[in-house]
Amino acid sequence: MSGTKGKAGTRRMAIFRYILRDTWRLLARNLGLSVLTFVTAVAVFYLVGASVLFVMNTRAMIAGVESNLFVQAYVKDGEESMRTVAGKMQAMECVASVETITPQQALESLKARLGSQADAVTLLGDNPLPASVQVQVKKAEFATVVARELIAMPEVDDVVYSGELADRLGKISSFVSRLSMVILVICIAAASLVLFNTIRISVYARKDEIETMLLVGATPAFVAFPFVLQGVTLGVLGALFASGILYFSYGYAINALIHSLPFLTLIKDRELVLRLGIVLVGGGVTIGWICSWLAVSKFIRAATRPQ
Amino acid sequence: MEIRISGVTKQFYPDIVALRDVYLTIPQGDFVYLVGPTGSGKTTLMRLITRELVPTKGQITVGDCNLRSLGAIDLAYYRRDIGVVFQDFRLIEGLTVYENISFVQEAIGMPKNLVRERTGEILDRLGLWRRRHLYPEQLSGGEQQRVAIARAMVNCPGILLADEPTGNLDLATAEDIMSILLSINASGTTVLVATHNQYIVDEFRQRVVGIRRGRVVRDERKGRYEADGDL
Ligand SMILES: Nc1ncnc2c1ncn2[C@@H]1O[C@H](COP(=O)(O)OP(=O)(O)OP(=O)(O)O)[C@@H](O)[C@H]1O
Ligand SMILES: [Mg+2]
Repeated sequence: MSGTKGKAGTRRMAIFRYILRDTWRLLARNLGLSVLTFVTAVAVFYLVGASVLFVMNTRAMIAGVESNLFVQAYVKDGEESMRTVAGKMQAMECVASVETITPQQALESLKARLGSQADAVTLLGDNPLPASVQVQVKKAEFATVVARELIAMPEVDDVVYSGELADRLGKISSFVSRLSMVILVICIAAASLVLFNTIRISVYARKDEIETMLLVGATPAFVAFPFVLQGVTLGVLGALFASGILYFSYGYAINALIHSLPFLTLIKDRELVLRLGIVLVGGGVTIGWICSWLAVSKFIRAATRPQ
Repeated sequence: MEIRISGVTKQFYPDIVALRDVYLTIPQGDFVYLVGPTGSGKTTLMRLITRELVPTKGQITVGDCNLRSLGAIDLAYYRRDIGVVFQDFRLIEGLTVYENISFVQEAIGMPKNLVRERTGEILDRLGLWRRRHLYPEQLSGGEQQRVAIARAMVNCPGILLADEPTGNLDLATAEDIMSILLSINASGTTVLVATHNQYIVDEFRQRVVGIRRGRVVRDERKGRYEADGDL
């Protein structure tokens, strides 16, 4: 029993060795083509990675702005209606936090802002400042909704918010997301096409060999495997190199940006790039596998179909 | 494994019928010459046995395996037991003589040391050992033919199909090849040889199946190349 198992084991090892050697032979024999595919894969994966990083940074930037985006509602009569409004706001889905500001608090903060000229406030006599409610929304595009809701309340006198900024941020955010999706799809399609064609060319370069192998009893999987491995190798190498370049160029770009535009909220942690690299390599395996399998299996099916 | 061909017709186009209603049974261990004028259907018959082709009508069974209903993996295993010497050799240009013979063993998962041993043995037996590092295009026609034979026999198949195995050889070498084929046959392998070589057929008398325009016209034990009457 163990004897049979051992024999099957050596057979599998022999097959494995053969496949590895054959993969290497495939890559080396079409060296020019391999290099070209590799370079394309690097470029494509770099573009994918860069656009993902761009989207993530845009998101971070918008989130940074959003966290400073308030809708402020001045209420008509006193702290009573202030609390009513605050209560209604807290019940809303899109509201992150609600802060109430009594006339007294408003006066304090005004004094603090005026600093040395704080005494001027006494000229106002009785505190004329209204009570207000400060609402922080979860996303920029909710600001308008919240503002409209507030205006409609009878207790509210006036609403102040940077509506245009909120709208624009919302639009930018969704535009960037959509653009990056388009880039992603185009990149993946391009990478797939190039890989598919490379494998197909190397399959055709070895047309006779494949047919002979099939005629002497090699299984389709055995014949296909070196080609699939060739595709996966090219995909993975492309993704790895692209990740490496991305890692260094990202650090460089972020440093430059932070120096010139220090107020932007950017993702400084390069661990993000490493995680992205893992995803890219996974993508390289998947695309390499699927494309080369499609290219070679189509040919094998045609070659084994009897006339 | 017995080859049983029953009522096989192979039609390529409406007006090209390569084989017509062929019945032929070849028991395990037989040695058969397939003779007939060019274009009579000899290669077609062999390609039906390797299942590169399927019959338009009729059935072929080998052992207890019906070739029509063979899946891709079963087909691969079926072919491992059939050695083929192609009329056009089909050696692989990018591989050396040695690799051409070793790769068909590797392709079916033979362990490395066994591959080395058997490849060396067969190259030696066919007088190709000193040519082992050459590529097919560097060989003479006869040498290429011997490589093709070596490749067909190296996996010790139960059936050996040889399409014109002496086509490019002088008589002495052809006799050599024949003695190799006969010794393979002596070890129990069924050998089917398509040939135009009258000298060989008449010298090494075996079963002769004559084909003409796609029909089996004679089938004789210890036959001659020419039928006594016509052909
Ligand atoms: N794939 C094909 N498509 C169309 N016709 C074919 C095909 N293969 C063979 N034929 C035709 O079938 C006939 C028999 O061909 P086959 O190759 O079997 O002859 P043969 O007996 O081997 O001849 P030769 O002695 O010259 O090798 C020929 O007329 C040929 O043109
Ligand atoms: Mg022929």
